[in-house]
Amino acid sequence: MLRNDATHFGLVSRLIHWAMAALILSLLVLGTQLKTMQPGLANLWLYGLHKSLGLTALVLVAVRLVWHRISPPPAPIGPPRAWENRLAKAVHRLTYALLILIPLAGWAYASATGLDILFANRWVIPPIAPVSEAWENAAHLAHSVLTKILMGVLALHVLGALRRGIEGDGTLDRMIGG
Amino acid sequence: MTLLKKLTPILGLLLMAQTALAAPQRYHLQTDLSSVGFETDFGPDKITGTMPIRTADLTLDFAHVAASKVTVTLDAAGSQASFPFAAQAMRGPKVLNTAEFPEISFVSTSVVPQDQGATVAGNITIRGVTQPASFHAEIWRQQGTVAGDLSHLTIRLTGAVLRSQFGAVGWSDMVGDEVRLDILARIERAN
Repeated sequence: MLRNDATHFGLVSRLIHWAMAALILSLLVLGTQLKTMQPGLANLWLYGLHKSLGLTALVLVAVRLVWHRISPPPAPIGPPRAWENRLAKAVHRLTYALLILIPLAGWAYASATGLDILFANRWVIPPIAPVSEAWENAAHLAHSVLTKILMGVLALHVLGALRRGIEGDGTLDRMIGG
Repeated sequence: MTLLKKLTPILGLLLMAQTALAAPQRYHLQTDLSSVGFETDFGPDKITGTMPIRTADLTLDFAHVAASKVTVTLDAAGSQASFPFAAQAMRGPKVLNTAEFPEISFVSTSVVPQDQGATVAGNITIRGVTQPASFHAEIWRQQGTVAGDLSHLTIRLTGAVLRSQFGAVGWSDMVGDEVRLDILARIERAN
């Protein structure tokens, strides 16, 4: 079943969820690596890869939001006013906000350097910020700080999902198997 | 450089020609036959590239080498590098800022004979900032000319500048501060 229903996630939602999970994990590992490695000709392509994956994540968030308009996700399992569900809802909303803001900040940072931004090492992506050191510093700071917040929020998300999985309330199962 | 190595370095040649050419001689650049190479460190690698020479005026005094003068203008906006991002970064506002400062210029203030060449000291202007710099110069007759014919010469200037001294500090965490220059100018005597 492709579409979500009142109690289950459809295939499309699950594919987007796990694709984004893999993308975000890759981006976090890659981004951390970029901060610590010594740049050279042999690893210069990793910067381009990070940008391409980040833009892909931004597109996937947009696709996911549109898809959830077309096919609304099922309500959380358990009482809606339970603190776990309220926290989960807040974490989801914050995650969406961060998954939009972080790539935008990265895009603005790359734009402000004045260098071309290539998607898949092929297509030039238009800049969204002026070439400016002030923009570059501000956008880089935002990208870095928001990413650290995302790490914390994702840790909460994963812990919550694991807790529900251990308790066996079906939340984790329906995101894996529908 | 192989070609050049086959040619006789000039200083000896200049000394031989002293009597023939007692007066300072003015030379013009052969633009199409001239180039500037540069190199800087990029992590464990090198970024290399070229920059066109826009103008070069040389007054060579073979009898009194110290009286020689060199003025070179480089087309910074036309620079190319070994990979596209490097060229773009180099021309951009954080490094050469060629939109505002499209040229790099060097004006000599002294020429001192040394070994088989000379040390040319002067002022180099990058990004509108002028700093003293010195280059090692060697000069040869061009291939195809006969001994004593100084109408066509090849001059090579080598040296280095620290880009931070000119405010060109972009990507200093990735790219080295020292930029090594290798200017190869082919010149012909003005009539």
